[in-house]
Amino acid sequence: MNGSSIYPHILRFIGLVALQSLLLNQMTLSVGPYFNVLLYPLFILFLPLQMPTPYLILLGFVVGMAVDATVPSWGVHASAGAFSGYIRSLAFKPFAPKGGFSPKDPVFAPAHMGWQTFINGTALFMAAHIFWYFSFSYFAPVFAGEILKKTLAAWLLTMIFVGLYAMMFNPKK
Amino acid sequence: MGRLLQLLLRNGGFVTFLLVELGCFAIMVNFNGRQGEIWANTTGIFGGRALEKRQMASDYFSLYETADSLAHVVDSLQARLSNARQVQVPIRDTFFLVSYDSLSKTDSVRRKTVRPQYGFITAKAIKNSISGANNWVIINRGTSDGIQPDMAVVSPAGIVGIVRHVSANFSLVMSVLHQQAKISVALPNQKNAFGSLTWEGGNPTEMTLRYIPQHFVVKENEPVVTSGYSLMFPQGHPVGKVIGLPKSDPENPYFLEIRVSLSQDMATVRDVAVIYNLYSSELDSLQLKISSNER
Repeated sequence: MNGSSIYPHILRFIGLVALQSLLLNQMTLSVGPYFNVLLYPLFILFLPLQMPTPYLILLGFVVGMAVDATVPSWGVHASAGAFSGYIRSLAFKPFAPKGGFSPKDPVFAPAHMGWQTFINGTALFMAAHIFWYFSFSYFAPVFAGEILKKTLAAWLLTMIFVGLYAMMFNPKK
Repeated sequence: MGRLLQLLLRNGGFVTFLLVELGCFAIMVNFNGRQGEIWANTTGIFGGRALEKRQMASDYFSLYETADSLAHVVDSLQARLSNARQVQVPIRDTFFLVSYDSLSKTDSVRRKTVRPQYGFITAKAIKNSISGANNWVIINRGTSDGIQPDMAVVSPAGIVGIVRHVSANFSLVMSVLHQQAKISVALPNQKNAFGSLTWEGGNPTEMTLRYIPQHFVVKENEPVVTSGYSLMFPQGHPVGKVIGLPKSDPENPYFLEIRVSLSQDMATVRDVAVIYNLYSSELDSLQLKISSNER
């Protein structure tokens, strides 16, 4: 990743953390507990496909911690972010071409993968992230039903926002 | 730091993931009220359970010591119970040794006059027989433990026998299922009904009670206890209960012949106590003063 290619990621980091903390989290407070949209994982999703997993985990931790600092929910988003960094390659694996992703595909975006692959891969990635987030947010197996309900609701809403985000910004790198 | 990163990169993402998640977990439970409380409760529950299991294991391995200690407590209580029945009661400025159960009274003057008469030594039966015409029990205590011949042997449920021969570490106990054994017993539901209990062979769960005068109306299932007149067995230790209706003694028609079911199953004798009379030497020397003509 050269110097010029870092900037989109830095901008995405700032933009998504700001969007998450200033708008989406506030919407949860005003609309209701089942209205949860988690867009900041897109920062991890759009990190370069060739990036080694340990870096993805550390960056996932950093973006999660940034969101945690605004809530505050110390460690919960950070844990989910690190988890997303770890499983990203696993979530994308079913949608990778034979022989894996090539350096010509810098990020997992519709511009490179096509919309269907993008939506499928993102749906899997977001489901894992959201489930992990609510599991640690509730932190007790007795809330399994609540965790599953909120995961499902948040996943549906998040996927709508992901679609809107991808259409608006159409990231290429 | 660089080396650490290289190490993490070499070992793939899992180690990094694990370390980061551990860090997140620590942050979560330390800085969030909800997660912190749940974690504290969970560790409290599991910690408590772990401690409980550890205590149970510790208790299990010290069961022998506990049982031994409890046996001593039982002995001590039995001694207190037996001794409490031997009370000196001041009546008109004169002391009389009377049969009196001080435990049922709260008179402080009377309680002060309790004089211990018996001591107990715990033992285990290591050999036992019930099928012979004369049966014996071997216990794991001998002269080195203070055992002497003519001491009584009881179990918590009933009577076992009388010590006859003693070695340094073991004693041979003449079982109550021995035809020479004669135990002085009483019927506590009758006033002054004392008799002699003997075994005539055959059924090892039954003995015969004789020398209860005919005028006593003895009922089935009446309890039978030691009389305390033998100077070996303390008064009131359980022996058994009357079975069947008494009949006239064919050898002596003035008395009854009563069948008694033993409360201690002699086939399962295990934990016993040897009873010693604290005044045995004094009583023996006193009895020696009775001249042969007077006997």
